[in-house]
Amino acid sequence: MNKNNEQFWKQIIKKVRTWARLNSIWAVHFNSGSCNGCDIEILATLTPRYDVERFGIKLEGSPRHADVLIVTGPVTRQARERLIRTYEQMPEPKFVISVGSCSISGGVFEGCYNVGGSVDEVIPVDVYIPGCPPRPEAIIDGIVQLLASLKGDEPRKMARPVNVEEIPA
Amino acid sequence: MNTLTPLITLLIFPAGLTLILVGMFYEWVDRKLVARFQNRIGPRWFQPFADAVKLFAKEQITPAIVNPYLFFGLPVAALAGALTSALYVPLMGLTPASNFPGDLIVTIYLLSLPTMCVGLAGWNNSGRFSLIGATRTLTQLFAYEAPFLLALLGPALVAGSWQINTINRFTQDHWLILTQPVGFIVALIGLMGKLELPPFDAPEAETEIVAGALTEYSGRGLAMFKIGKSVELIVGLCLVASFYLGGLNGVPSFLFKTLILLLGMTMLQSLLTRLRIDQTVGLWWRFGAILVLAQLLVIILVKGFLP
Repeated sequence: MNKNNEQFWKQIIKKVRTWARLNSIWAVHFNSGSCNGCDIEILATLTPRYDVERFGIKLEGSPRHADVLIVTGPVTRQARERLIRTYEQMPEPKFVISVGSCSISGGVFEGCYNVGGSVDEVIPVDVYIPGCPPRPEAIIDGIVQLLASLKGDEPRKMARPVNVEEIPA
Repeated sequence: MNTLTPLITLLIFPAGLTLILVGMFYEWVDRKLVARFQNRIGPRWFQPFADAVKLFAKEQITPAIVNPYLFFGLPVAALAGALTSALYVPLMGLTPASNFPGDLIVTIYLLSLPTMCVGLAGWNNSGRFSLIGATRTLTQLFAYEAPFLLALLGPALVAGSWQINTINRFTQDHWLILTQPVGFIVALIGLMGKLELPPFDAPEAETEIVAGALTEYSGRGLAMFKIGKSVELIVGLCLVASFYLGGLNGVPSFLFKTLILLLGMTMLQSLLTRLRIDQTVGLWWRFGAILVLAQLLVIILVKGFLP
């Protein structure tokens, strides 16, 4: 009886927690070397035309307040450490959305002397949104897919810890 | 049940849980109205509640440089100050839970406790954005605090008492907004300064200094500061409504008055752009304080010469 009760309350708390996470997503935006095309589309997503505050999505200034890191652009050598530091400043649970072709594969910047590669070579990425640049509808769809992956009961893969020294430059 | 009543008063009604939930509701009304003014649909009704639950369930990161006692203590002190001030204020049109002569001053000091805590938290974190945010928060505190106090002093002078309950009994049949319009406007705009709402949001300007004094706060600490702010919103609204808009006459009409005040505040929020911190200080000391002082002089003269 006692154990059942405990199980029951744990279930309830877990449900409430998941519900709150699904309905309140604060994002922080990081440009790791993008051409600003994707950044403009992200800003367009936040305008009254699409109004993502309906879903509780809000752009925050500080990575400490955020749940989702939105990365645009290929990771340049200069931005690499900053990107890792921004990622590590975010409190758990944290998710990463990589927006645009360049952030997925390096895009047209692949092989450039100053470009390290895609975002998922540096930090673990949860959702990829392709496009050059992706439309605001596509970005909203990506966020919806992230939410759908959070809803499941199976334990999600936890973001692996990243050590700055271990990653080859 | 003599021991149970104070506990219920403190934890559930009118202070404590009910106050927090109603504060969240008012915060939602504020956000929704701003969204409607911007031609958006706006957040859903449970949004502030979901935000708070999510923040409480998140990890709290303690920066290496901070003093941990201050880091964990300040959000609690801020929330406690805001909740305690609710004891002396007529919440939702009910008589205050407790009163003593001079509780108006205590309430005003308790209401500025959250701001002081935010300032100290920014200083404690000693990041550059936190420090600039803390400096701005405290500068703004010195700007609006005196005019706000003077604006609430007007009704107290007319009623001849420092006790909120007595002033409410006086304002019940005197709509002081008609005789002291300047005080009303200064009190309402002072409340906006207190809550760091848009024309006065230089302390947490996202485009300049990330998130101001609370940049390094995450999880529980941030949630407590946010809840403290929404409690401050409802306490301040109740104070201004009961002083200037005809005191306490029934719960529904009182709630309606506070919502009308909130509507005015959201209109100003979406009309005006952010002021620089020196403009804020200049506005308060050049216009706010002088106007309220002139009104106080008139009140004293009228009270002295008319029977």
